[in-house]
Amino acid sequence: MVKETFIHDKHVQSGAKMVDFAGWDMPVQYSSIIDEHKTVRENVGLFDVSHMGELFVSGNDAEAFLNKIVPQDISRLDYEKAVYCQLTNKKGGLTDDLIIYKTGILEYLIICNASRVDEDLNYMVNNTRGFDVEIENCSHKYSLFAVQGPKADTLMRKMGLNTHQDSFTIKPAVIANVKLLISRTGYTGEDGYELLVENKYSEYLWDEILKQGREFGIKPVGLGARDTLRLEAGLHLYGNDLNEDTTPIEAGLSWSVPKDKTADYNGKDVIMNQIQNGVPKKLIGLKMLDKSIARHEYEVYFKGEKVGYITSGAPSPILSANIALAYVKNDKEICTGAVVQVMIREKLHDAEVVKRPFVEKRNKVRL
Amino acid sequence: MEKNMLCTKSHEFLEDNGNKTYTVGLTDYAVEQLGDIVYLELPDVGSTFTKGETFATVESVKAASEIYMPISGKIVEINESAVDSPEVLNEDCFEKGWLVKIEATGDASEQSDLLEYSKYKEDLE
Repeated sequence: MVKETFIHDKHVQSGAKMVDFAGWDMPVQYSSIIDEHKTVRENVGLFDVSHMGELFVSGNDAEAFLNKIVPQDISRLDYEKAVYCQLTNKKGGLTDDLIIYKTGILEYLIICNASRVDEDLNYMVNNTRGFDVEIENCSHKYSLFAVQGPKADTLMRKMGLNTHQDSFTIKPAVIANVKLLISRTGYTGEDGYELLVENKYSEYLWDEILKQGREFGIKPVGLGARDTLRLEAGLHLYGNDLNEDTTPIEAGLSWSVPKDKTADYNGKDVIMNQIQNGVPKKLIGLKMLDKSIARHEYEVYFKGEKVGYITSGAPSPILSANIALAYVKNDKEICTGAVVQVMIREKLHDAEVVKRPFVEKRNKVRL
Repeated sequence: MEKNMLCTKSHEFLEDNGNKTYTVGLTDYAVEQLGDIVYLELPDVGSTFTKGETFATVESVKAASEIYMPISGKIVEINESAVDSPEVLNEDCFEKGWLVKIEATGDASEQSDLLEYSKYKEDLE
């Protein structure tokens, strides 16, 4: 049974092209992926990401419990702050990547990938032994909209946001007379907000954001542009760039793994060992040197030897070049500026190793 | 433009130019479904393909798709300007966005499963 978000019919009526994504019938594009992508980079775009999972974790041991299942140090997370984390398995691999928000003294909100809600719940429940903690899956109660782009803040101010909000914070707010939770986070590399709203207000809010955003050139944006935007920003997609067999260190996420966290967590021994002694494989950014496009699972070669595979690849509408992420063996010669080859339809195509993000992130809040 | 045109169920069109030569391209439905076309790979002039064989690849932002020969033939000309500017397929798939010109190498019976454009459009509904 395919799942639908609360405003599914609106997408269909507006002529969006719909696709199955993680069991949900979702809009992949409304007009054109390239056009929607540029709208987010230049103005503001509105995404329905209600397929994502919302899990509330509460109880006396909520903090200690979360500290057991993610490498980030949750004891440092202040009220109304958010942090990017991964759920690690005992081998240091990733069950999911997610954002944890502290929404109460003993309460946390986890927003996770739609494709991983069931696995995440299973994983969490299996780790609750000895903790006084309650886990509630609220995914069916809320709609989640992302308002992303350089004009997102101006639009939210116009619609009722009355205080400055720092990046990676979450607060109750009233937007267009609707009570909701608003966080200054996103998955595009742009400044922007994510709005968690009760389903009963979602239809009204969606229409109101599009109406009030008209003067800023707002457009609804589908999953197609969401993917190219996150790739340009060098952000990982679970299932492509992250899975149960990749560690946060291999994935280039060391910045989200504190070295001085005292609490033990699943996979900590493997992860700490990799920090000290190095990793067998590493995630690199690639820019194709011709017009070809590297796609998921294509093979990567260096000096005639197969060294890895592409995990994500697409055209970058901003760079007018084709970019990709790949895992390659941890060879120090495969470094920024080196040229590798990607096997595309039985031919090798040159690609240069480049720094990530491919496009400079602009989600640092300017005061 | 639809006068001598036949279509495949895999959304290629075949336009009869007379003298056993044909123009092959993608239908308006195909380019609409693909969305923004960003890359096109065409075969070398002189290469030959049998009916149903992959002869070209088109890529949208999201994915790569193969294009199949509507009939057996030898490539006599390719649309270089479409390779340079693949977006021309979205703009005008039947005229400026054609892919290759071929010389038929099989017999006329190969066209028996191809559909008139109007019938092809009808079947899509």
